[in-house]
Amino acid sequence: MKLGKKCVVLAMCLSLLFLFSCSQKPKEGSPYTIGVNLELTGPWAEVTKTVKQVLIMEVEKINAMGGVDGHPLELVIEDNGFDQGRAAAIMTKFTQNKKIPVVLGPWEDPLQGTTRAIAEREGITNIIFCPSNPMVRGLKQKWSFNIAQSDIIVSRKLADLCLARGYKTILVFPGNWPLALSLADYFKQFGEEKGLKVIIAKETHAPSDIDMTPQLIKLKPIIEKEKVDAFYASTGGPPGPIIVKNMRALGIKTPVIGTHAFGFGFVIALGGAAMEGVEFGAGKPVVPYQLDEGDPVRPIVTDLDKRMKERYGQGLDQIAGHAHDAIWLIYDALKRCKGEVTRAAFRNALEDTTEFVACHGIYNYSPTDHDGLSKEDMVFIRIEDGKFKRLKF
Amino acid sequence: MNPWIHIPQLLAAGITMGAIYALVALGFVIIVRASQILNFAQGEFVMLGGVVTFFFITGAGLPYPLAALAAVLAVIVIGFLLHLLVVYPLRKASVLILIMATVGASIVISNTSALLFGTLPKALPPFSGDLPLELGGIRIVPQNLWVLGATFLLFFVLYFLSHRTLVGKAMEASSTDPLGADLSGIARNFMVFLAFGVSAGVGAIAGVLVTPIFYTSYNAGTLLGLKGFIAAVVGGWGKNSGAVLGGFVLGVVESTSIAFIPAGYKDAVAFVVLLLILYFRPKGILGSPYIDSRRW
Repeated sequence: MKLGKKCVVLAMCLSLLFLFSCSQKPKEGSPYTIGVNLELTGPWAEVTKTVKQVLIMEVEKINAMGGVDGHPLELVIEDNGFDQGRAAAIMTKFTQNKKIPVVLGPWEDPLQGTTRAIAEREGITNIIFCPSNPMVRGLKQKWSFNIAQSDIIVSRKLADLCLARGYKTILVFPGNWPLALSLADYFKQFGEEKGLKVIIAKETHAPSDIDMTPQLIKLKPIIEKEKVDAFYASTGGPPGPIIVKNMRALGIKTPVIGTHAFGFGFVIALGGAAMEGVEFGAGKPVVPYQLDEGDPVRPIVTDLDKRMKERYGQGLDQIAGHAHDAIWLIYDALKRCKGEVTRAAFRNALEDTTEFVACHGIYNYSPTDHDGLSKEDMVFIRIEDGKFKRLKF
Repeated sequence: MNPWIHIPQLLAAGITMGAIYALVALGFVIIVRASQILNFAQGEFVMLGGVVTFFFITGAGLPYPLAALAAVLAVIVIGFLLHLLVVYPLRKASVLILIMATVGASIVISNTSALLFGTLPKALPPFSGDLPLELGGIRIVPQNLWVLGATFLLFFVLYFLSHRTLVGKAMEASSTDPLGADLSGIARNFMVFLAFGVSAGVGAIAGVLVTPIFYTSYNAGTLLGLKGFIAAVVGGWGKNSGAVLGGFVLGVVESTSIAFIPAGYKDAVAFVVLLLILYFRPKGILGSPYIDSRRW
């Protein structure tokens, strides 16, 4: 009796295993499922809404084109509410679904450490929207890829901007979170390589600071004493415009340079007239119609802009660009798997991505580079008359 | 570097912050004076003042002053609704339960705002330009003067309301001596209802005034509410004058502390001030009608 029961259980297990091993290789025309782990509620809700809209729009387009060699794409979108625990739970849930070869998201830096660790342990590709940071790069993880421009290339691009503008001494006012601090450090490193004098302020600011006046009052004497040519706000989100606004209110007229996080419409709306003349390097989707005629990115960017305006009544921004690039990178890698889509095959295909042209530029992944983009994929931007204007040097 | 050279400008910044904290603190005190309820949704009224004005300007196309007025009225209605839907049904419960209910209401309000108006931060243009005025080496943005003026104006209006009108006195009576108020024929629940409206109005005015200086978003109310609460406690729980004084003390201490310590500790300073006051003078600087310091 006991033996019989054991046999039944064993048989069931074996048949389950058999079923699983069968389902590993999708049958002809069966969909490829992509897990999407996004901050759809919480402070990033409005930003991730754009991501979701673009993902849905692009998947519909891919499926209308016949999918990936006859296999349609299918999205499973889950909301992590900008919560570490929920992001981890969703990631784990996706890893247990053997039909999912790749998980997209999370959006924000504080969550990527967790999902990357799970991806590494379970052996599933994780494409993260936010830039990598020195901490996660140091781990040399095999299964995680980042979409956005890394702190390294942003800092290199900004050093170029300072050289072109003839700035000699630059004061950096960093945020107190890892990405803002590493942007400041890399900028100092690359700037000093090129002979610039870079001072990183001891004062920092928090992402929740609504008034930077006190910090700026302390920085004002340094600006005057060191004859600072430019003030670098190494930050993202609302603190950027707040810093510029507070500076101008204190009568500091030093030119301001910023990060690629300044390339969003709401930044100009928050800072108002104070934002005039702020310069930074950013992704190409910020200025779709000011790109060079011969730029291979231009037709992709303008096409996406038109389709977004038509469907959602809102034009393209860097976020929409990231979403577009992520889904088409997946499409491209799946296609190169030639029907043999397993998690390992997909990862290898994605890592082999070379010269892939998308909204933000040309992606090249390699075993040593999981960030994809390069300095050449960014453009210089100046805020003029409340609009983004491309600068060429 | 000599830290004292920053003091005048930091003082100017601190007075502005103080005026903002004072406005939020006044909102807390109005409700406490009528019902002893601590309304943790107070910060949300401030947030709504800014967010709803923004919506009326961009969504409904109203001119700025009209939009601001409409927003204040809308928030007053929300204040009334908060009383009718949350506080009134729980009128027989203990004050502690009511306080928890207001915490719940604040979460509902801020998330509803996120759903309706989005999560991106929103800014309003300043009332009268953003060219800073220079006074003896100190720079002040005109909007700061608006905030300062409004704080004192509201303080005097509230003083008049509570000391010179029957309604104001009835409001106060229903809190200090509920039984006595009942015996004198004061409709206590109606007084609390009115207090929620006035408090929401003051909060919304604060929101309209401060949004041009900073910005507002669906979750901006929490920290402002907390700071306003600290200001009200520091100054003297339950006193209008205490709320205003507490606001300025908090703002100035917070701001000037930066001359000596890194700005990262700015928010902690507020709580240190609160602890020190509670430790050495639990009834606040001006004393509180509700806290008997002999009990400590």
